[in-house]
Amino acid sequence: MQKNAGDDRYRRQIAVVGEDGQEKIGKTRLLIAGAGGLGSTAALFAAMAGFGTLRIIDPDCIEETNLNRQLLYREADIGRQKADTAAKALHAMNSSIDVEPVMSAIGTAPVRDLVRGIDVVIDGLDNYPARFLLADAAWQCGIPFIHGAVEGFYGQVCTIVPKTSPCLRCIVPNPPPVRQTPIIGVTTGVIGCVQVTEAIKLVTGTGVPINDHLWLWDGIRQKSDRLKIERIPTCHVCGNNEYQIPAEERVR
Amino acid sequence: MKVHVKAFATFREVMDSQFDMDFPKGSTIRTLLAELTGRYGGLGELMFSTPDTLRDFVNILKNGRNVHFLSGLDTPLDDGDVIALFPPVAGG
Repeated sequence: MQKNAGDDRYRRQIAVVGEDGQEKIGKTRLLIAGAGGLGSTAALFAAMAGFGTLRIIDPDCIEETNLNRQLLYREADIGRQKADTAAKALHAMNSSIDVEPVMSAIGTAPVRDLVRGIDVVIDGLDNYPARFLLADAAWQCGIPFIHGAVEGFYGQVCTIVPKTSPCLRCIVPNPPPVRQTPIIGVTTGVIGCVQVTEAIKLVTGTGVPINDHLWLWDGIRQKSDRLKIERIPTCHVCGNNEYQIPAEERVR
Repeated sequence: MKVHVKAFATFREVMDSQFDMDFPKGSTIRTLLAELTGRYGGLGELMFSTPDTLRDFVNILKNGRNVHFLSGLDTPLDDGDVIALFPPVAGG
């Protein structure tokens, strides 16, 4: 039993996911990649839900331009490390969980080390080169990768379950160039919450994950759509489930 | 033949979200895009870097399959196809 499962904190959600579901949430180790708009929203709701361990990766310091959407930070935090500041804020929110801040960028630290011991990855990154590195590592380790991305009033989510779903490279074979993206803070709120919803569903076995299509949010029209995505047969990551990752590329 | 077109994300700022179009047999994705860019001002600039070159990030799906892995702009249209025009978003 999770140490706080009997606390009043979880009473309302145990009514939804059950004691067993809450125990599963408490035993789950989440990797939150990026502590920006998506990552800080996802981390906050994951902490409140009682996910047992949150590993938060971000190399950046807090800037004033972050404060329209990155809800873990305050004006006094400007200039501080995001991962470390996020960890303190989350621990203040829920002291029963473990929060591991990692102050490095995806690609500078060995990606295989970052996903070691992790049960579910939440994508709060802001560029596809880093997403592909992390998503490939998660796929190779059999770890679900909950992709999320935003621009303006638009957002997208897909839960990539290895051996079941198309991989991220099939979903977004032609990514947009790396650039500073215009973002309305509420969009990161919507998409970050959907990502944590997916994580809760996955670990408790509730409902059906968004794993064979891309879920698209249009905040201007308050409309969501599902875009069916098929595997690319020649995809070197997921095109053939019998594909063996060369030993030297396997995640340790 | 009838083709259903769906546009997502920022493409919706210059075109309708979804609609049906009629094409003669033998039409391709190239035919469809020519029709759309003629109909919606600003779409051509969003989708093409030169008159013949789609911008890298423009994803066109035919029934869920990216035409980049079919025959690109020469991918034939078939009756009942659902064609999705999808510029993935990137921010976090």
